[in-house]
Amino acid sequence: MAVFDALGGFKVTIGQVFQPRVTKQYPEEKRKKPPRFHGRHVLNRYEDGSEKCIGCELCAGVCPAGCIYVRGKDNPPDAPVSPGERYGYVYEINFLRCIHCDLCVEACPTEAITETKVLEFSFTSRRDAIYTKKELVVNNDGTPKRLPWEDWRVGDDEFTSGWMRATSPQGSKDFEGRTHWSGELGEGVRKPEAGQSDLKSEDASPRYMIRKVEADRISKRHGGKVR
Amino acid sequence: MSTDESQNLVTLSIDGREIKAKGGELLIEAAEKSGVFIPRFCYHNRLPQVGVCRMCLVEVKGPRGFSLQPSCYLPVSEGMEVITQSEKVKKAQDGVLEFLLINHPLDCPTCDKGGECPLQDQTLTYGPGESRFAEEKRHWEKPIAISELVFLDRERCIQCDRCTRFADVVAGDALIEFIGRGDHTEVNVFPDRPFSSYFSGNTVQICPVGALTAAPYRFKARPWDLSQVESSCMACSMGCRIMVQSSQNGLTRYLGLDSDSVNHGWLCDKGRFGFEAINSADRVTSPMIRKGDSFVETSWASALSLIGSKIVDAKASGDPSRIGIMLGSRLTNEDIYAWVKLAKGVIGTDSVDSQLGDGLRGEVIAALPRATVNEAVSAKAVLAFTGDIKEEIPVLFLRLREAIRNGRTKLVTVGTRSSSLDKLSEVSARVTPDQARLLAMEVTKDSSKFPEISAVLSKQGVGADGEGLVVLLGRENLAWDQSIVEAFALELSRSLPKAKFLITLRGSNFSGAVDLGGVPRLLPGRSSLETATPVLRQKWANLPAQGGRGAKEMFNAALRGELDLLFLVGSDPRQDYLDSELANSALDNVGFVVSVDTYLSRSSSSADLVLPAAAFAEKAGTTTNLEGRVFTVNQKVTSPGLCRPDWTIASEIALELEEDLGFGSAEDILDEIAEVSPLHWGLSWHRLTKSAALDGVVVPITATALSIRPRAMLDQISTPGIASVWNQGLPSSKTSYFDDGTIEEPGSASQPPAQASVASVEPIWPVAPVQPLGTMRLGYSRKLYGQGEHLMNSPHLSKLIVEAKCRISSKTAKELGAEMGDSLRVADKAGGESLFELEIDDSVGDGIVELIRGSFSNPGFSPVRSDEAVNYVKVERA
Ligand code: SF4
Ligand code: SF4
Ligand code: SF4
Ligand code: SF4
Ligand code: FES
Repeated sequence: MAVFDALGGFKVTIGQVFQPRVTKQYPEEKRKKPPRFHGRHVLNRYEDGSEKCIGCELCAGVCPAGCIYVRGKDNPPDAPVSPGERYGYVYEINFLRCIHCDLCVEACPTEAITETKVLEFSFTSRRDAIYTKKELVVNNDGTPKRLPWEDWRVGDDEFTSGWMRATSPQGSKDFEGRTHWSGELGEGVRKPEAGQSDLKSEDASPRYMIRKVEADRISKRHGGKVR
Repeated sequence: MSTDESQNLVTLSIDGREIKAKGGELLIEAAEKSGVFIPRFCYHNRLPQVGVCRMCLVEVKGPRGFSLQPSCYLPVSEGMEVITQSEKVKKAQDGVLEFLLINHPLDCPTCDKGGECPLQDQTLTYGPGESRFAEEKRHWEKPIAISELVFLDRERCIQCDRCTRFADVVAGDALIEFIGRGDHTEVNVFPDRPFSSYFSGNTVQICPVGALTAAPYRFKARPWDLSQVESSCMACSMGCRIMVQSSQNGLTRYLGLDSDSVNHGWLCDKGRFGFEAINSADRVTSPMIRKGDSFVETSWASALSLIGSKIVDAKASGDPSRIGIMLGSRLTNEDIYAWVKLAKGVIGTDSVDSQLGDGLRGEVIAALPRATVNEAVSAKAVLAFTGDIKEEIPVLFLRLREAIRNGRTKLVTVGTRSSSLDKLSEVSARVTPDQARLLAMEVTKDSSKFPEISAVLSKQGVGADGEGLVVLLGRENLAWDQSIVEAFALELSRSLPKAKFLITLRGSNFSGAVDLGGVPRLLPGRSSLETATPVLRQKWANLPAQGGRGAKEMFNAALRGELDLLFLVGSDPRQDYLDSELANSALDNVGFVVSVDTYLSRSSSSADLVLPAAAFAEKAGTTTNLEGRVFTVNQKVTSPGLCRPDWTIASEIALELEEDLGFGSAEDILDEIAEVSPLHWGLSWHRLTKSAALDGVVVPITATALSIRPRAMLDQISTPGIASVWNQGLPSSKTSYFDDGTIEEPGSASQPPAQASVASVEPIWPVAPVQPLGTMRLGYSRKLYGQGEHLMNSPHLSKLIVEAKCRISSKTAKELGAEMGDSLRVADKAGGESLFELEIDDSVGDGIVELIRGSFSNPGFSPVRSDEAVNYVKVERA
């Protein structure tokens, strides 16, 4: 009897032997990244090219690793960098410290900071690990800058503005976090999210709908609830 | 119960809990003291209450049951029943906040107040959580500059009336007011009249939203990346208590701390925004030695050994008084002590001065009975014979103004011109030096030549011996020699022995310099060279045998070639010495000038060796204000480059002379001061930081000074900026912002030293020269924004520096045939001249021409001569 007891204890272990393997032979073999993978950050632009960051330092304030350094400044009246009074004059992220928790993304009131899916980038000096506005702000066409030491794969720069709200903009306590895709460069100014206002879904921009369907599909594949 | 009655205590219940409060106290205050915080916007403990915001509504039981009443407007009374938390109160708070937010913009991320905003905080804590307002908000033009220092964003204003009340009631500059009605009510300045108050920064600090923001702080940082330390402002001799805040090793702002004995939370703009000069890129950051016409950088080691050899050379001549030291107003008590010890204890020269012809003799200050600010504002009567307090010591003006408006004291002013005090005074008398003498001798006598003044004093109950009178003594007209003011004070003190004096000189820490021997013939503790205590003699081995030279004598000695080495420690005589002609020619004639400075001032740029000094907020120490109150000054940022605190430089120089001053930190120096100076007995770093942190202590320490318990609590709404940096939380409780330590027994501190008596100093009235034909009397006074390195290196304050104008009365102008805006040529005694634009101003007496000190710097022109008792100038149309 004692033998069976002992074998019983190994049941889980033995069962695992017949399961398919999950270990991948990284770096030869790479896993497909989920759509909202947290990689290297970008600073987005509006479709008129102006920067979304207003230098409010909320991201820096919330960052648990203390790796963001922001300084704001008055927008030059003749050539404003961002809409409004203030713009991000200095913006730096130290990627040796960042834990890719995305709290900065959630804190940002203008959806300026979001993340791409690039995770493979290495440096030869500490200084290079500090990304500044030069590296972080997206190109004029809205695509992230690809830096020589980063390993970009197909799809890494898609859905870089995926953006999750944990709290209702109206403060409702019944609200549950859900993903929204905000307007990227060329996508138009973001319409109010369906479900959070009286806006009928046909009033949302077509591109928005396509993205929403895609997002739901991906979300479902990963076990997310579709609304 | 009897003690309750004697203190007029009443019993009331708040949320079912019985508390005791002083009768007549406001409910909001009484609740706060008992630990119940009632939200508020418009209530401020230093302003008259108006009850306009309705945020503080609570339920109070009346004859017809409980009803909502504003707790900031309701005095407590016996048996009152109050409910601060109920459905009804919650509904009222929800309603007030929802209403306030209807037109409030969603600016928080870019708003300077975000993160320390009472509106944000109280909305989060007491608000409805959701808005029902979907319509377009009311819009105003985004920030408008209402002065060089303040921006106004009317969209964010919640019409709490704090700024307008402050400007009108406290500052007396009602330059900001409400305009319009209903939802179009806006706060604004009058057309074409900027908010040019000396106190505008206070409205920024007390505005409960981001409607008023300060230009120097705009977008510099957010509250969560600031850190702070308590300190005392050193821009003038008031020593207002401040919180110094910085981010990334750069100063970002100063906020006023509410000290009951000093500044009541207020600051002047010069003090508040002066931090910009410390961040200036033009600081001296490395020792520099003169090579021909320019400077080359050198190392500390070679600079110090050069100084060492210069001192040895100068002493080799056998006369240590060939070495002189001038101390500036930047210095802390510790800096002063170290330099004075170097001079008088090690080198053996008594030629140390801290005043540049614009002060009063140390012996006179030491002999006059000293009044505190609190004594002055509660005296039976105040007699002011001083420069314009509003221009020189602005926050003292606020204290006086408040006391006089509330009838706590009455003011009499004496002088040559009308000043901002005149509006507050009962009588203001114009005097000549001879009349001043008469006044001093018989002010309270019936036979007085000044019956109005005597009448006010006797009506106020000032005794024939001066009991109850406080004299504000300063330099009313800098064109009168200081000996006139000194003789006036001594004469007055002899005829009114019970009258007390508050010395209202402007220079920060002038009082510390007098107390610590930073003037000729005095030693720490105000003892003279002869009366030095044994412990001082032991620590200061090389005491000079005879009295040394003050600034004027040093300059005269330099002209005779008798000054080999001069140290300018934070002192800029070329700019600041009254007789600039004398200072310039004397400094050109000194063997070797060492300047310890923060900027390349006019004096340091022509010195032979410049040493970089740490500025305010870059070093720790203590300072003494005009009433003899000692406070701590703290370090917040590190100095740029190779700058060092001034006291360490003195220590290093002593080491070059193979002497050890014997201290390794500012705390060590304070301990030594307490040991050698009878005036400072009982003073310690611990006492200053623990038990007396906020109010400091008046030296000599007495038992009563120690029994005053400091305010250890902070209302987050009155001072949100300070509280939010300390505690990024909700205003649900008050924050204790320093250790409310226990107060030690006075011990040896209870024996104050004997005060030098006025009998020992003779009043010497100088012989006033006869007015030369064709001249006018000179009036020479200060404005808050005169020139000076501090102002010129602050990007925002430098825009406010006054223009060099000359002012005469309309009658005198007519006699000259000149009109407003004309150009006038003013010639000094030696024929040096300068052109000024004329401004006609009837506050100037007839036959007087008024110039503003520091507003011009014309090397050939020096209207005030150090050898004249009264100065006259020639004025003609150019
Ligand atoms: S992802 Fe997290 S750790 Fe990285 S910068 Fe953002 S908040 Fe900081
Ligand atoms: S990225 Fe967003 S949160 Fe960060 S400073 Fe810019 S606007 Fe503010
Ligand atoms: S005043 Fe306060 S609530 Fe209003 S925008 Fe500024 S931070 Fe936000
Ligand atoms: S500007 Fe500020 S202090 Fe003045 S009324 Fe408006 S909210 Fe109150
Ligand atoms: S009405 Fe009481 S705080 Fe404003």
